Amino acid sequence: MATVPLQAAFRGDFAVLLVYVDDQDTMEKVAQKVAYHVILRRLPPQDAPMRVQYENRVLPPEQTVAQAAIPPMSFVQVFYDA
Amino acid sequence: MPKLESSQWYDLCRDMNWQFKYVTDAEVFPEALSQSHGVPPTAWWTWDEPYKISYREYVHNQAEKEVGVYSVRSALARSKFFENLDPGWKAAIIAHYGVFAMPEYLATFGEARMGRFGRAAAWRNMAMFGTLDEIRHGQIQFSFPHALLTKEPRFDWAHKAFHTNQWGAIALRHLFDDMLTANDAVSMAIQLTFVIETGFTNLHFLGLAADAMETGDVEFSTLISSIQTDEARHAQQGEPTLRMLIQHGKKAEAQRLIDVMFWRGWRAFALLTGSSMDYYTPLEHRRLSFKEFMLEWIIKQFNDQFRDLGLERPWYWDLFINELDWLHHAFHLGTWFKRRTVWWNPDAGVSMAEREWLEAKYPGWQDRFGTYWHTIAENVRHGHLSLTYPETLVVVCNMCQLPLCSPSVGEPPRMLTHNGRVYTFCSDPCKWIFEQNPARYAGHLSIVDRFVAGQIRPPDMEGVLAYMGLSSGEQGTDAMNYAWAFEQPLRIPAKRSETYGYSPASSSLSR
Repeated sequence: MATVPLQAAFRGDFAVLLVYVDDQDTMEKVAQKVAYHVILRRLPPQDAPMRVQYENRVLPPEQTVAQAAIPPMSFVQVFYDA
Repeated sequence: MPKLESSQWYDLCRDMNWQFKYVTDAEVFPEALSQSHGVPPTAWWTWDEPYKISYREYVHNQAEKEVGVYSVRSALARSKFFENLDPGWKAAIIAHYGVFAMPEYLATFGEARMGRFGRAAAWRNMAMFGTLDEIRHGQIQFSFPHALLTKEPRFDWAHKAFHTNQWGAIALRHLFDDMLTANDAVSMAIQLTFVIETGFTNLHFLGLAADAMETGDVEFSTLISSIQTDEARHAQQGEPTLRMLIQHGKKAEAQRLIDVMFWRGWRAFALLTGSSMDYYTPLEHRRLSFKEFMLEWIIKQFNDQFRDLGLERPWYWDLFINELDWLHHAFHLGTWFKRRTVWWNPDAGVSMAEREWLEAKYPGWQDRFGTYWHTIAENVRHGHLSLTYPETLVVVCNMCQLPLCSPSVGEPPRMLTHNGRVYTFCSDPCKWIFEQNPARYAGHLSIVDRFVAGQIRPPDMEGVLAYMGLSSGEQGTDAMNYAWAFEQPLRIPAKRSETYGYSPASSSLSR
């Protein structure tokens, strides 16, 4: 278990945020942690699953940060898969 | 005995140039402080200032200016002028003093460096007047807010801001160290006096003084007008220095110096002046939008100067023009959202009438930015104020130190690995500036770098506020006490028009 700081953006938001995740977090959990700082604050929620994109790849929801080998301070983008 | 006309003695008195016999030119003008760019020592002697003044005339003029400004202040001190100012305008001037007073003092160092290490006596003479100007600008912009401390304690940030780790202060120190305190004489003449003073602040101060008068802030208007008259004079050191480089085949280097500081100046200008003009200035007193001001004044003047000097527009010109439509709106939204991290009360500036004005001046604003403000207003109306504050940091650029913003985040930040460390940049020009001289910038830690490195304790927003030097009484809040949020909302664009059918407390989202 290790904390991993990420540079994260939610598609449609206006800024990149510093978001801490755990290396055992799944992408579903990572998306929730990023959305926490954006949805209902500046963007409305949508009835659609959230996905995480890293280096032009959309990662499987069950994949962990460690499995995806995402280094600290990498950029990830979260979006609604609507 | 009749006095001579100044034109009959001026050149003789100022031209204290001579060739050194007992020391080398390099000893008198070390490159690190002077930077000749290979222009021969005696060639610099042809440097000629466009604005000529004697010390006697200078003192006479300055004394009159001081009497005029302080007379206005004395007269107004007995009035209630400050209490009657618009809250948004108060925010603008409290922010202004924290941002500008200390850099004016730092500019004293810059002017004094040109006054000693400028390669021509005429230049050194002019720079010494500039040094005295900047001492005055520092002192007067500490004195005026000091007199207002009884009305608003946060005027103390005129002096305090630069001595803290507040995020804006970090950004401004980074900028002004690059431009002033850690710069050589030639680069400073081009980057400070040509790019920033002639290009940005001289015109900005003219507009600011007019806006202040419109809003009834006669004191601030008088102060800024007085400063501007000095700036207009000493800013003229840049053009002859540029001409010197161009005449001696150093056009590319001159262009590079301009391109670096134009971008840096633009980013800071968008943050400070953009919010002030388009959000803080009362709607009824706005004469031009920030974009109109940029196009009609700043950009026109730069275009004329680039053409007259045979220089090119900076290579990122199209990107800069594109940012006129959105960058300062994003900066403003971010500043308001993290309003606890600034020493003034940001004016959201998004009443219904103001939103219509913004949409008229920036077609598409409602769709790009109005929707964020709609969500924020909903939260205010429903009592969910906690959702209008951040619980984490916005990532900032390792060059301009300002937030990584976009009207709709889509592409990754520019990233660069240098000596094993990863740097993040908001834009191609900021990354390019870093690449011009990595050793100059590589050691700096942004506010986010410091947080990640564990330098900010506790590692949460309260720790961040303490690190920035902001006590609870100093932290900003909404200038209008959220009155704008309780107005009837306008139509929301269809693409983001979903209504919120559940309360934030029931959200399954968690950290």
